[in-house]
Amino acid sequence: MRLRFAAAAILACAGHALAAEGPVVPAFVEETKTSGIDSVYTGEWQYMVGGGAAAFDCNGDGFEDVLIAGGEKPATFYVNKSTRGGALTFEKQTSGLEFDAMTGAYPLDVDGDGIMDVVVLRVGENIVMKGKGDCQFTRANEDWSFAGGDGWSTAYSAEWEKGNDWPTIAIGNYIDRKQELEPWGSCTPNVLQRPKPGAKGFDTPIELTPSYCPLSMLFTDWNNSGTADLRLANDREYYEGGQEQMWQVRPGQPPKLYAKEDGWAYLRIWGMGLAGYDLDGDGYQEYAITSMADNKLQTLKEPPKDGAAPKPTFKDVAWPKGVTAHRPFMGNDLKPSTAWHVDFQDVNNDGLADLFIAKGNVSAMPDFAMKDPNNLLVQGKDGKFIEMAEKAGVASTETARGGALVDFNLDGLVDLLVVNRNSPSQIWRNVTSGAGNWIEVTLEAPGSNVNAIGAMVEVKTDLGTQTREVTSGGGHVSGQSGWVHFGIGEATAAQVRVRWPGEDWGTTYAVDANGFAILDKTAATATAWTPPR
Amino acid sequence: MSITRRRALQLGAATALLGLLPATARAADNGGEILRQWYKVVLMLVRHTATYSPPVASRAFAYLGVAAYQAVASGSTSLVSLAGQLNGLKALPPRDPAKTYSDAVITHCVMASAVKSFFGNTGPTGQRVMAAAEKKLKGDALQGLAPDVVEASLSYGEALKAAIIDWSATDGGAIIENMGFPMAYEVSKEPGHWNPTSAIRQQQFPLLPKWGQNRTFAMPSGASCGLPPPIPFSEDPSSAFYKQARDVYDVTTHLTPEQVAIARFWSDDPMLSFTPPGHWIAIAHDLLAQEKAGLDRSAEVMMRLGVAMADGFIGCWNAKYQFDYVRPVSVIKKLIDAKWEPLLITPPFPEYPSGHSTESGAAAAVLTSIYGENFAFADRSHERDGLGARNFPSFTAAANEAGISRMYGGIHFRPAIEQGLEQGRCIAQFAIGLRTRSST
Repeated sequence: MRLRFAAAAILACAGHALAAEGPVVPAFVEETKTSGIDSVYTGEWQYMVGGGAAAFDCNGDGFEDVLIAGGEKPATFYVNKSTRGGALTFEKQTSGLEFDAMTGAYPLDVDGDGIMDVVVLRVGENIVMKGKGDCQFTRANEDWSFAGGDGWSTAYSAEWEKGNDWPTIAIGNYIDRKQELEPWGSCTPNVLQRPKPGAKGFDTPIELTPSYCPLSMLFTDWNNSGTADLRLANDREYYEGGQEQMWQVRPGQPPKLYAKEDGWAYLRIWGMGLAGYDLDGDGYQEYAITSMADNKLQTLKEPPKDGAAPKPTFKDVAWPKGVTAHRPFMGNDLKPSTAWHVDFQDVNNDGLADLFIAKGNVSAMPDFAMKDPNNLLVQGKDGKFIEMAEKAGVASTETARGGALVDFNLDGLVDLLVVNRNSPSQIWRNVTSGAGNWIEVTLEAPGSNVNAIGAMVEVKTDLGTQTREVTSGGGHVSGQSGWVHFGIGEATAAQVRVRWPGEDWGTTYAVDANGFAILDKTAATATAWTPPR
Repeated sequence: MSITRRRALQLGAATALLGLLPATARAADNGGEILRQWYKVVLMLVRHTATYSPPVASRAFAYLGVAAYQAVASGSTSLVSLAGQLNGLKALPPRDPAKTYSDAVITHCVMASAVKSFFGNTGPTGQRVMAAAEKKLKGDALQGLAPDVVEASLSYGEALKAAIIDWSATDGGAIIENMGFPMAYEVSKEPGHWNPTSAIRQQQFPLLPKWGQNRTFAMPSGASCGLPPPIPFSEDPSSAFYKQARDVYDVTTHLTPEQVAIARFWSDDPMLSFTPPGHWIAIAHDLLAQEKAGLDRSAEVMMRLGVAMADGFIGCWNAKYQFDYVRPVSVIKKLIDAKWEPLLITPPFPEYPSGHSTESGAAAAVLTSIYGENFAFADRSHERDGLGARNFPSFTAAANEAGISRMYGGIHFRPAIEQGLEQGRCIAQFAIGLRTRSST
């Protein structure tokens, strides 16, 4: 009863606010000091990049717990003790994930046992940690034949290739850290770890060469074909003869780079973060790529209208969409910006995805802003984005790197965690007044890909259709696994369907506004879920 | 051609007659190798330091060349100081006759110190490289030397570096903000003038609009090798303006694989390469390495080349902002083919003359004055970027190819290339005319 009353109250409020001109201004309250999170990503040269966080539920309470990389210092793990709609509250706990030399981490249920595992990226050996339940983890490199390597790992993504019952993991590696005199041009090989044929575990890694020092990678279905390819954001600072890349990854075939002949357009930037979202509803995702002094928002140059396969030719629409975020929007330090983690989330629940960008100087580079505020670019109905970080209260000028936009307190509003370099991580609770309605869904599938990585979730309401891909990777060494959030404005219910990985669109589920739903592939209806506290 | 330009050509001819720089010159120590190692570091830093657009790079090459040259000349009986020859360069600190010095240590010290000064704004990796290079090359330079020689040499190197940095601070190019893009600028609305060519916000104003007013090194001023005006704007298909645009369009829409390779080879984009002046420095570096040139010859070559190219960009920029000429992409998209795209990224500043052409004309003239006409060489400077080597029968041929590459790349009209090469040759004569040998 209380829940229904709360929802009605939100609706009334939302109706009023959404009628006003322009998008609802989101509001966040920083709760770093009271949250229990006390973590610093730090270290010298080898930790100038990285500084990621992984958000995932590892104790089955529906609240996403957090692992934060510490660089030279051990990572810290926090159990989420928040209550629904309450202050963000975490408790540090020993989990087995407290590695040093960690740059970032991503959650992935590798063995499909329903307990979340974690892939830890490090300067040195990468480690895949098997979840044992109750947020305890144990090393599984040997049991799963995972090749940890000895690189400087800065990117990750995973998918289940069609027909496989074990994931394919891509790891992006940065430069050869032992090169003191000529580090430039020393990008080390990225690797693809595919399943071992006929057995659980990974096969011998395949090198994805040429490799151009990625700082983000993402398996994503860019052409809406039902099959993901591997998109990389490469850092031009270190490659020679390189460019942005996308690998065609097909089951049973060696990976193949998209080339000019395929339509791939040459782009060379300081690629640092990557996120996808179908912003214009044409079935093809746009991709935000962060960089320095400029950021990109790519859309297909010629999306086919006749159902034909599109060419991988993207054009930049960052400027007309208002998301160049090329220099600070506030303060006196107007030097060019340095952008890292990036994510699309609807922070005011108006049914339009917004864009968060974490900003921070690499390391005392005087030509770039030292006081470089994070961006919260809120999308308006015209598809253009408006900078609202300062009004929203999240315009921190700490030196940001990774982050996570997650509904940590399960109130339907997406909260924000940012990992800073050499200063404490920060966390904000979303308290937006007048936000729209929302739904949050989680996918359950039989087989090994239990979280349906690679699925496409479509939500239909009076607002129209929104589609999101369920991915594992991207951002800047930061990943999350859990509720898939949709703002739905004034709609009171949504029709939801899922294109399950490697399959066609499935059953349409009815999901009520302002609630959580479990979408079980084997079930005809959605199962409503209520937070336990 | 102006009177100044005629005089410049006369100066150059006189220098060539006197037989500059015998190729047999050899230092007794490893100073030449140490200097070349520092240039390798500098070439990497140019590529990886965000403020190092091509004009800024040329400036650093000039000052570093002068610093290295003076490191040797300060103790030489045959080399002549550049003080009084280069604009604004007054007397430099003398060595103490009572002390013994090592040219190699002085050169190492002045390079290490000056590189840290010019590239102090580079990123953390560049800082790490500079520290590692200093440690390694200092060890190489100091090998077997007496402590008093080391101390005197390091001390003198610091004093010389300080004088060079003081001199550089007042030339107008010392402070680069916003990566060289002004925060405010009035872009002309008149047809035929430059307008932004990219969707990058920072590049809506053109790069370094005041660079042409900087203090020059060897030539009197940025206007010393002035150019005739470019072809007047016209949309008339029978006009010379339209025809030059059509020329670019026709060439770029029928590029041969060889022409594409040429455009890529000389693209020399900032942040993705060592820039056009760096390309020529890399060529000189490789030639000096092949002949195992000694310190005095290495320093002199790098000095003349650096000075010529720095003056080249000042002269080129002076003309660019005098004429504020429109780029081919703006014209062709409007008048000929809205879907046309150039092979190369159009640089964010006015078109006329072509900067790479001016630089290449200047560099080729300097290297020809040193190595002679028809000096065949292989340019391997882009091998690490996968572009392979290119062979040239002469420096002039290489410069001409660099020039025409900008048309293949779709970023310049033909007159900007031809006039740029000519301007570069003119500007180079001032660097070639610098008196470096007491016998001259």
